[in-house]
Amino acid sequence: MSAHLSYTHQEMMAVVTGRELKDGELAIFGVGLSMLAGYFAQAHHAPSLRTMTEGGVYGSTPVGGLPWGIECNRISSNATSFTNAIDALGCLVASGRCDVGIIGAAEVDKYGNVNTTGIWNGEIGETYTAPKKRLTGAGGANDIASGAGRVIIMVTHELKRFSEKVSYISSPGYLEGGNARDRYGFVGGGPSAIITTLGILRPDPNTKEFELDSYYPFSSVDEIRLNTGWDLKVSPNVHVVPDPTEQELAALRKVDETGMLRKN
Amino acid sequence: MDQSKLISLSEAVDRYVIDGMEYASGAALPIGSDAVIFGREILRQNKNNLHAIFHCNSQQLNLLAAAGAVKKVECGFSGLEVFGFANGLGRKVESGEVALEDYSNLAMALRLLGGAMNWPFVPATVNIGSDIEWRSAFSPEEYPAKHKIPSVTDPFSGRQIGAFKPLKPDLAAIHVSMADERGNAIMLGTEWSRFELSRAAKKVILIADTIVDTDCMRQYPNLVRIPDVIVEAVVYWPFAAWPQSSPGLYDVDEAHMRLMNKALATEEGTTNYVRDYVNAYSDIKSYLDLIGKENIEKLSHSETSFLLDPFRKWIKTPEEIAKRSRGASV
Repeated sequence: MSAHLSYTHQEMMAVVTGRELKDGELAIFGVGLSMLAGYFAQAHHAPSLRTMTEGGVYGSTPVGGLPWGIECNRISSNATSFTNAIDALGCLVASGRCDVGIIGAAEVDKYGNVNTTGIWNGEIGETYTAPKKRLTGAGGANDIASGAGRVIIMVTHELKRFSEKVSYISSPGYLEGGNARDRYGFVGGGPSAIITTLGILRPDPNTKEFELDSYYPFSSVDEIRLNTGWDLKVSPNVHVVPDPTEQELAALRKVDETGMLRKN
Repeated sequence: MDQSKLISLSEAVDRYVIDGMEYASGAALPIGSDAVIFGREILRQNKNNLHAIFHCNSQQLNLLAAAGAVKKVECGFSGLEVFGFANGLGRKVESGEVALEDYSNLAMALRLLGGAMNWPFVPATVNIGSDIEWRSAFSPEEYPAKHKIPSVTDPFSGRQIGAFKPLKPDLAAIHVSMADERGNAIMLGTEWSRFELSRAAKKVILIADTIVDTDCMRQYPNLVRIPDVIVEAVVYWPFAAWPQSSPGLYDVDEAHMRLMNKALATEEGTTNYVRDYVNAYSDIKSYLDLIGKENIEKLSHSETSFLLDPFRKWIKTPEEIAKRSRGASV
């Protein structure tokens, strides 16, 4: 951690995710921490970021802290347009118009496939059995993973969440790697980064296997490899990501008024 | 001719909900506009064995599943957004008592559109290439599943895509901010897939937080996304989405969202919740008392309140509504 700034791992993850978003892009955020990362980018370095949520809520920013959901008063009090699911996820995402999406993951694998459906503790097998723990299902993340130009996966870096192969693909990454996505003709390009509480993973351009691209001032290559459930390759150019600046933290905390990113 | 379709909540459930039917609601997002009160009444009348079609889970589905009224579910998102996993639905899926067929949020909206259009199928460019395509809770032995999202060839490009099965629920209970007595409705906030659902369902009942004069609809016809010609009945019930939010009218009740989801995590908690918050009121007044006067004031004092301002002058009083209702007052 830097000498004069104190911030949480989750805040670092949100800032680093926000840095991936460029001014002028059309971006879609899921509910939760990804929304904070996205609106942070807009508040800090991408004022012309065109933001939307899958509910078809346009033109709004969070008021009074992290919205509880897409219909929450915290995101519905300054919108300029309310539409619907087919419009947001269909006309603007499935169409290929959306540049970038941010999604979360309960479990992610070496090819960036995401599981948010259930915990089975390993392979499900031939018969589809009930999960040990039922999660939220795909929601709009499958649509974003299929259609957005690129996808950023935000996930807490824990061994149980980083598997060689996810039990259930709720939202497709690069499937079994290489050009496997081509079989399905997805209009979206797939995940460009997995941004975690410990570092950034990016896909190899050919194999599409995710490798360690960079880590944080408070983490290390060893710590990240220990918390990854496959033999994580390390990029020859692996480097340390700079601390959040004072301006970044101030912008993030303004969006995260209720301190959701500072709770753990 | 009397054009009023206003009926009581109990009459609506008694008349339109049939055991084993395909029942749709929740065509809004998980913590927003949903006819949660309709689900409470379904439990009060012991309807069961429902096949629930919910674009997204809501506290209504969470409650119906927890209390054992639902056997099958088709859903795009089964959580409660920032409030976490839906404990009632989740534990019934884990125990195998409820078969939950997963789709994505776009898929559910497209399937409703397909039903509305009477299409034979809807081309699927999402959900393919994932376990949503390959795994079916309704045919668990079949892997990869062949009948859930079967492959079809795009006749123009020759490319292999999927086919979604259209949805035509037997009944839809749709929550709206405002309805007139004839069944014209205005929704504030995202409509999510309530437009498509209103056209896909065989029968539509509106559950409205407020009843407005038809002059309101004439002033804002562009905003009337559900017209009376497709509506069977209108139920007036303030705070119908509670503890969820209704943009323009009230905020999400954070404390009750948590209390409810915690209760639904166990059988005992569910029994107690049903006793305390489903069977504990006898009319609108006692329902509002249950929410609490101070709480109602707080929840009504919403950042979104201004959204209702253009419509306020047409809102009818409970006395005016009672005069236009058919049948019993609750």
